Amino acid sequence: MTTTRQSLAALLRDLPAAHRALLTTLVVSALVTLGYGVLFGALTAFVRAGFFELHPETGYRFMTLHGVTIFFYWLYFGQATMLLALAAAEGGAIRGIKLAPAAWLGTLLMLLGFTANQIGAWTGPPLLYDASPEVAGEERVAAGMSYVGYLLLAAGLFLVAASAIATALAAKAAANPRVWSTIGFGVVTWAGLLMVSSVAAVNAFLPSALWAYGLADMPTDPSTGWHLLFHNLHYLPLMGTVLIWYALIREMTGVKSIFGSRFSKIVFASYLIFVPPTSLYHMFLEPGLAPLVRVLGSLLSLFISVPTVAVFLVIVVSLEASMRARGSRGLFAWMRALPWRTPEMAAIGAAVVNLGLGGSLAFVLIQERLATLLSDTFFVPAYFHFLTVGTVSLTLLAGLMRITPALTGALRAPRLLALMPVVVTVGLVLFGFAGIFAGISGMPRRVLDASYDGAAPANWLMLSQIVGVGAILMAAGLLIHVAILLAGIALPVRRTVPSRSPAVLATPDGAAFRQAAWTGPLSVVLLVAAMYAITIVAFSLMQALPVVASAGGH
Amino acid sequence: MNDLSDVPANAGSMRHHLTTRRGFIATASFGAVSLYALWAAFDAAPFNIVGLHDSNVPGGGHGGAKETAADSMAGHGGHGAANAGAASEEFRRMTEDFVARHRLPDGSVRAPRNELALSETMPAAHDMHASHGTMPMEAMSGTPVDVYLMAQQWSYEPAVLRLDAEVPYRFRMMATDASHGAALQLGRGSQIIRLRRGILTDRELTFRRPGEYLVYCTVYCGVGHDRMTGKIIVS
Ligand code: HEM
Repeated sequence: MTTTRQSLAALLRDLPAAHRALLTTLVVSALVTLGYGVLFGALTAFVRAGFFELHPETGYRFMTLHGVTIFFYWLYFGQATMLLALAAAEGGAIRGIKLAPAAWLGTLLMLLGFTANQIGAWTGPPLLYDASPEVAGEERVAAGMSYVGYLLLAAGLFLVAASAIATALAAKAAANPRVWSTIGFGVVTWAGLLMVSSVAAVNAFLPSALWAYGLADMPTDPSTGWHLLFHNLHYLPLMGTVLIWYALIREMTGVKSIFGSRFSKIVFASYLIFVPPTSLYHMFLEPGLAPLVRVLGSLLSLFISVPTVAVFLVIVVSLEASMRARGSRGLFAWMRALPWRTPEMAAIGAAVVNLGLGGSLAFVLIQERLATLLSDTFFVPAYFHFLTVGTVSLTLLAGLMRITPALTGALRAPRLLALMPVVVTVGLVLFGFAGIFAGISGMPRRVLDASYDGAAPANWLMLSQIVGVGAILMAAGLLIHVAILLAGIALPVRRTVPSRSPAVLATPDGAAFRQAAWTGPLSVVLLVAAMYAITIVAFSLMQALPVVASAGGH
Repeated sequence: MNDLSDVPANAGSMRHHLTTRRGFIATASFGAVSLYALWAAFDAAPFNIVGLHDSNVPGGGHGGAKETAADSMAGHGGHGAANAGAASEEFRRMTEDFVARHRLPDGSVRAPRNELALSETMPAAHDMHASHGTMPMEAMSGTPVDVYLMAQQWSYEPAVLRLDAEVPYRFRMMATDASHGAALQLGRGSQIIRLRRGILTDRELTFRRPGEYLVYCTVYCGVGHDRMTGKIIVS
């Protein structure tokens, strides 16, 4: 079946000018927060590596600026942009973005939130991004701006998500017959989850805000609210990530799911089922958590990977089967034929590799007993940067690269951009594996100087230096993306946007079903094997420790 | 971007390869994850295969040695700032008492070595409503020796604790101002312990090898966080 459809960029290019201005504002906000946040991440890594020294107050302020800016603002601006862009493209240019004033107001509130958080982070005590009232202590008024910022962000995100839902609903109402498209359905699920996440943010930070301004007592258990929110923050970008893969792969290769729209919708909807119960594993070290809850937590947190593995399989099997139906032979010829020189494709390819690496490491932490070895160590940032940088950020950048031509006319320096995911991944491998080794031997996260006056194991500094070198590569790769995209927006090049998606790889009708497509399933087998291997190593390490720990005897 | 015609009209009548069936995708996704879930829950087969499993261990044998899930216990825990404050004060008093009783001339604290010394500390534990507090005295022979560790911005009390190898200790720990960590650096790895403000956390630990072990904070607690250290000397 040969299909061409209007490209995403072409659909967005034909939107009313005011709607394109809204998307441009969101794209620029996302890129600026990414670039700014990455700078502070790199600085933090350099201080940890001993490349230079900072007063602890300044160092922790930089760490705060990194966490706050990148985890809250880059991820939310990035998601808001792609959510609205995908929804708008569903409806087509004529219908445009629904509830656009709400989306504008939402964007404005998010920008105000960013400003308030900046004031909080630069002028208040360095609280890091969870902004615990306990740490703020006496300096509560100065800390107040951080809480206000998060509340504004939550309100803004809620409005943008509402606009995306309205847009997708309008697209459905206008469709003939009136059925959800896969992407439209995915957008609504994703937006719904983002709204839940806004509510979780209010739940986490409103009590602290009231306390900061003397309107309530110090919240008794801020860590629970934070865990709920953090958990949402963790997984929602994953839902967005797989949806962007789904949309972009079809757009770039002309291959769509051979499993049908309904199947994909069920998989997207299952995020709604799997995200909420998985919040437990962030709490494994909490004193007083019942043993049964711990075991259930271990189990449930695993199942978040079911829809992610399923989307991965849907995409990879569809691609392989379609390519084989078109005549690809051998084990990997089908993969080589994919458009890797397209920067978006390169970014998504790297995102998949990094998801495999980060995913297999994440499962070690889900083992409740290993949490006593690894939680709060550098193992945690080491593995999650594979996911936050390698998977989610590269995917959001792929999405932004796809839609900016609608605003600028063309993507600049595509060759250079297509190399950057490789640079980021090499950086991540250095950052991640050095950090994991350091974490396994107990090097803590969230410190600026892990030498402890010579009492710490000697290799912590050396490993931190490798982390620092990795950070240089990661930062370079991400900043080049940011610079090229922003330059494209500031100095637009007027070339014609390809108005149709390529149809070159489209599949002869039905032939794909008869193909053997084993690459996806075998990758999953490999992933499981890697998870087992890493866990065995971690357990044997725990055995070797010169201390026996046992229950408190009750 | 509409994709309603995702599946070809004649798809039903075609012979599908196993890998292109929906059932296969669903089973593979669930199956792969469940396999691991089984293991996570029951420490199933792989440990037996690689010979690491030790089923004689109390608590189910995981990763061998004599280890059980190190548990923690809330004393007064988590019932509001006032309660946390009261619990913290009480714990502070008990720790100071412990330190005063066992302080050596060099300022370090040596843990009590005999049953008598152990029983001296128990009434205080009883006050804390800890579950051990109600234990009859005769049941206590062979019970681990109690030691106290208080975490506060940005130090531990006692800062240097002397223990004996192969003696089981019950670490009674609390963070008194903000949340802290009390991680033990043990060479190839660390035991990470999280302490919440005003919540009593007990952990039984037996050191198997003499040596000096770094105690350090692993929960961010303000600008002095990475200077917050203590030492355990095991002889
Ligand atoms: C060039 C890119 C980056 C570098 C070099 C970098 C580096 C770092 C470093 C060194 C830390 C401190 C680790 C610690 O001591 O606990 C950190 C923390 C963190 N990073 Fe990044 N990072 C980068 C990009 C990102 C991105 C893109 C995200 C998210 C989308 C992210 C999310 C985080 C988070 C959530 C933390 C934890 C902050 C905290 O514990 O308070 N990073 N990063």
